[in-house]
Amino acid sequence: MARIGVFVCHCGENIGRTVDCARVANELRDLPGVAHSVDYKYMCSDPGQSIVKQAIREKNLDGVIVAACSPHMHEKTFRRAVASEGLNPFLAEMANIREHCSWIHEDREKATDKAIEVCRSIVEKVKHNVPLETIRIPVTKRALVIGAGIAGIQAALDIADGGVEVVVVEKDPSIGGHMSQLSETFPTLDCSQCILTPRMVELYQHPNVKLITYAEVEEVSGYIGNFKVKIRQKARSVDADKCNGCGACAKACPNKKVPSEFDTGLGTRTAIYVPFPQAVPNIPVIDRAACALFRGRAKGLKKEACAKCREACSREAIDYDQQDTFIMQDIGAIVVATGYQLYSIGKDQPAGLTGYGEYGYGTIPDVIDGMQFERLASASGPTGGRIVRPSDGKEPKRIVFLQCIGSRDPAKGIEYCSKICCMYVAKHTMLYKHKVHDGQATVFYMDIRAAGKGYEEFTRRAIEEDGARYIRGRVSRLYRDGEVIKVQAFDTLSGEPILMDADMVVLATAMRPQPGIQLLAQTLSASYDQHGFFNEAHPKLRPVETNTAGIFLAGACQSPRDIPDSVAMASATAAKVLGMFSKDQLEREPTVARVDVSLCAGCFHCERVCPYGAITHLEIRDRKGNLVKVVADVNPGVCQGCGTCQATCPSKSVELSGFTDEQIYAAINALVL
Amino acid sequence: MQELRDLARKLLSDGAVGVVIGYEEGPHGVRPAFITDGADADKLIFDRRCVQNLATYLAPRRNHLGKLGKKALVVKGCDARAVAGLIRETQIKREDVVIIGVRCGGVLRSDLAIGNGGSGNGEGGIGGGGAGRPAAGAVATGAAAVALTPETVADRCAECDIREPHLADHLVGELPPAPPVSKRREELIAKIEAMTPGERWDFWQQELERCVLCHACREVCPMCFCERCVADKTVPQWLESSPTGRANFAWHLTRALHQAGRCCDCGECERACPADIPLGLLNRKLAQVVEERYEFRATDDPEIPAPVGSYKLNDTQEFIL
Repeated sequence: MARIGVFVCHCGENIGRTVDCARVANELRDLPGVAHSVDYKYMCSDPGQSIVKQAIREKNLDGVIVAACSPHMHEKTFRRAVASEGLNPFLAEMANIREHCSWIHEDREKATDKAIEVCRSIVEKVKHNVPLETIRIPVTKRALVIGAGIAGIQAALDIADGGVEVVVVEKDPSIGGHMSQLSETFPTLDCSQCILTPRMVELYQHPNVKLITYAEVEEVSGYIGNFKVKIRQKARSVDADKCNGCGACAKACPNKKVPSEFDTGLGTRTAIYVPFPQAVPNIPVIDRAACALFRGRAKGLKKEACAKCREACSREAIDYDQQDTFIMQDIGAIVVATGYQLYSIGKDQPAGLTGYGEYGYGTIPDVIDGMQFERLASASGPTGGRIVRPSDGKEPKRIVFLQCIGSRDPAKGIEYCSKICCMYVAKHTMLYKHKVHDGQATVFYMDIRAAGKGYEEFTRRAIEEDGARYIRGRVSRLYRDGEVIKVQAFDTLSGEPILMDADMVVLATAMRPQPGIQLLAQTLSASYDQHGFFNEAHPKLRPVETNTAGIFLAGACQSPRDIPDSVAMASATAAKVLGMFSKDQLEREPTVARVDVSLCAGCFHCERVCPYGAITHLEIRDRKGNLVKVVADVNPGVCQGCGTCQATCPSKSVELSGFTDEQIYAAINALVL
Repeated sequence: MQELRDLARKLLSDGAVGVVIGYEEGPHGVRPAFITDGADADKLIFDRRCVQNLATYLAPRRNHLGKLGKKALVVKGCDARAVAGLIRETQIKREDVVIIGVRCGGVLRSDLAIGNGGSGNGEGGIGGGGAGRPAAGAVATGAAAVALTPETVADRCAECDIREPHLADHLVGELPPAPPVSKRREELIAKIEAMTPGERWDFWQQELERCVLCHACREVCPMCFCERCVADKTVPQWLESSPTGRANFAWHLTRALHQAGRCCDCGECERACPADIPLGLLNRKLAQVVEERYEFRATDDPEIPAPVGSYKLNDTQEFIL
């Protein structure tokens, strides 16, 4: 006969108010197999846990039921308490009489009856519980960081400084991300590149970092601690080992009119190029779509249309026949730091979003977006830091900034706040005033959201010291009148329509996740929200983890974030990764699926429904080595114990440890028989 | 017919296969034949009485047939769907079987073709027996079988879209004219759908109470390939084993659900049933639901994924609360 102890918790008033806990304990005491049954005000408190421990000792219990809250809350607490008395922790179960009973019922009598039923059901289940052993899996102590913007750089450096190898994959030819394009940063107005480039060099030179630029993650298989990652190294057409970064190739390139991505189309570059002077690594790449030689090859020309860069290279580093190559890496943990893109409101509207044709972006040359303004204001930018109109190169004396372009506008597809725009618009007005002393900056805003250390003070400074004029209201239309841009708007505070002239207009467009992020998320089996941002495991308590074990998040791939937030998140992620790597083996809950190979017919419905890819094929052979059959097998390192396979298996040949058919059947029978 | 026999003889004499599984004349009508010697190839026949689905002999649980060597299998379109199902669910590999497809102009109702060994008393109401259903013994033998008419053609031939199995390695015979269309089954399904839940319950109660849980429907089914059927599981025993009304319901509904999106509609369960239970109605209704909701129709293309375990963004999911 089982010797089960039942411990009924009042949860203060939470359960006790609706359920007569003493009656629950009394009635359960008489159940066959129940050796001990008591109630107590707070079972999870220290004295409460002591009651459980003492009973195990004195009554020689072989099973424990705590009738209290959801197992989500305190199952771990009680299993730990049970384990400290030498009883296998998986012989302890929770009966949820709070969420499933007291919180949702009013009638005390009936709720008490139901609580007794719930407990009876779990008593029958526990009679079938067997001791389970924690699963230990080996861990490869090498991290992968996807994306080398400021978040990726910070995460990689922190992990590498912790003494762990890090592989960093960056899709662009250089690391640095969006931060390398910025002029100055709020709220201190320090130069973005001045604070970023030392970190870039540090990453490049770190002995624990393997930096792979101009590359993308192609495939990810395996599971936490044991990922296998296939990385596509895109063909640079330049041999990185031979190149010394002298820049002669770019000087020789005849095509100098390619719009520069780094300068957001305001400047030009050559077909063979280094994105910006401080690029890391300082190795050029040939843009094959713009290169005369490759365009000639695409047309089928036999002769090489141009080879000027190869002729100019003294190190014979130019390799026109270079192909994409693949790099395989064994990885223990993956940090996603893919960052953001700005909502493109020009001709290429993203799918599902339509709007902002009324602002003439892409047709009125002096209507630009925030990142373009950054490049104009940057000393390393196409104008050398002079703020001028793209149309005629004249200095704008009246500049207008529009906030929330795309953000906070459900009618146009994006309901969230992009978080950084209020601050960078304030910064823009200041940068403008510092360069155009007689100019006037006007900002149209919905609300000013300046929550952050020194942020409110910063926006006040823009208004009070640098004379930015803030008008609360939306702009309905921008149109050209000769050289002037007419701004048609409405001041919602005074209730008056506005028609004003501007020489230049800057749109603070929304932050969106990087294109192709859904594909990456699917490769990683990580989930993402309706906007394409990665989902964290818990918005408050597990903000840098995903629901897929071993995959972590840093920066704006999770939601719009500014630099301080991204850096903080990156360091948090690094702490998670280092914590995971601090043990030689990872411990996993043993509540995983198990296949009975003697019964499995190998239809692999389980494999098709498994959301974690935990099912593998196992060959069963006889003693002579002849193949008898191929059956399903569960990788306990990957299995999350969701039980979908168990529900799908037509012959019930797979069972979830801790939730076997026998246990569930017993629990149901206790309720219906 | 000669083409089929010549092909079988060649496959056997070349050593390409160890056994050709087809049809032959038996004492009580057409029966499955296992030809291992080319000299016996002339025993093979194919005509509209060949209703059996021989794909059931491919399932690994009939591993005693493995001793005969590689198999060649004579399939109609409906049987080819079962072969595709077995490939889809990794029971066989495509290259492990030679498929001889026969061009098919429809087959007879199984009770007319070979009899079903059942009582034939048709006491079950609209499903079994009734008008025009011959008593046992009236089954035609020899080539002079009953002609195909809307009354005599098998139910499944009405929806057949695979009269030339695409899956076949070898296709034999001339394509006969399309079979006459029988609306019998669709009308029955419509009639049951029109019933109130109470009437429907009574209908199935009446049909299923004849079941003796002999599990012949499972044994004959090519898609029932589990090594241990859930009905045979004893710890815990989800399905009762004595044939009571409740146990019969549990068994047939479980089986129908396990067949949803997998049933190849070969009609074998209904043919094998000694109690004349119209099992095809259950399977056909579920196939209709699967087709409406998941755009899947039983096919002989093993590359098309079955709805169990495949996922489409536009899958209906109103049942997820």
